Amino acid sequence: MTDCGCDKAKAELEEYLHRELSDADFRDISEHLSHCEDCSTEHLVGLTLIQKVRSACSETAPVELRELVLTRIRALQAQ
Amino acid sequence: MLAVQESPVVLDWPAMDNDTVPGAAGTSADRDRLRRLFEEQALPYMDQLYAAAMRMTRNPSDAADLVQETFVKAFAAFRQFEQGTNLKAWLYRILTNTFINSYRKNQRNPYQNTLDDLEDWQLGSAESATSSTARSAEAEAIDHLPDSTVKDALQAIPEDFRLAVYLADVEGFSYQEIADIMKTPVGTVMSRLHRGRRMLRELLTDYARDRGIAAPTARRTT
Repeated sequence: MTDCGCDKAKAELEEYLHRELSDADFRDISEHLSHCEDCSTEHLVGLTLIQKVRSACSETAPVELRELVLTRIRALQAQ
Repeated sequence: MLAVQESPVVLDWPAMDNDTVPGAAGTSADRDRLRRLFEEQALPYMDQLYAAAMRMTRNPSDAADLVQETFVKAFAAFRQFEQGTNLKAWLYRILTNTFINSYRKNQRNPYQNTLDDLEDWQLGSAESATSSTARSAEAEAIDHLPDSTVKDALQAIPEDFRLAVYLADVEGFSYQEIADIMKTPVGTVMSRLHRGRRMLRELLTDYARDRGIAAPTARRTT
């Protein structure tokens, strides 16, 4: 089904994914995605991209860094 | 090591009147209280700031230096931080400022400024797959890529685009918060984010194709 709402959904998909739409626009696009396979797969690609980037970028700071920062701010406080 | 203690931290961020800060007088006990508050509130963001610094500097040693400098500057300015406002965004702003001023100066991409001015058509087409079946396969292929490939692809996109994607997708900052952190209008944030994500998508789809990662079955997941 591509007769209604596709143009708007495609134009605003990024804002939809990043929760930057008004409630009314958000509802319109959610409604459109629920019955438009074309737009919902485009949405799925966008969502997958966000999830991949988020999970790939996770890091743990080295323990020494934590100790170094604590030492430096305690030294600053003592000044 | 960078000398940061001497340089005053100037942040155009909502600050509260010093009179309203308990301990503004700076007695030993007050300073102790402020330091403990900082350790309790700001230090838990260390892993997140380090992850962002890794994507900015691209190596663990510079990332550690950048995070250390960020915390030292943040602590020096902590009295001006308005309790109850967004500490995470405040820390990211210091991190980003510090990165731009200290690390990027010598390696600034001369093409960066012109990139924002490019028209969309100059950056390639928006949709790499035409059918929804092909797009389902694309999503699945991207989903199967290793983390290292995703990080490589992120490093391959222009820095300002990468930063916008990182702040939005990894940290979940709003467009307005990203605009404040990057000191650019919201429209520029949107443009960088859209273009950065489009480049990322094209790179990842290419990687998946090159590695022969393709989903044989297309299924809908909503």
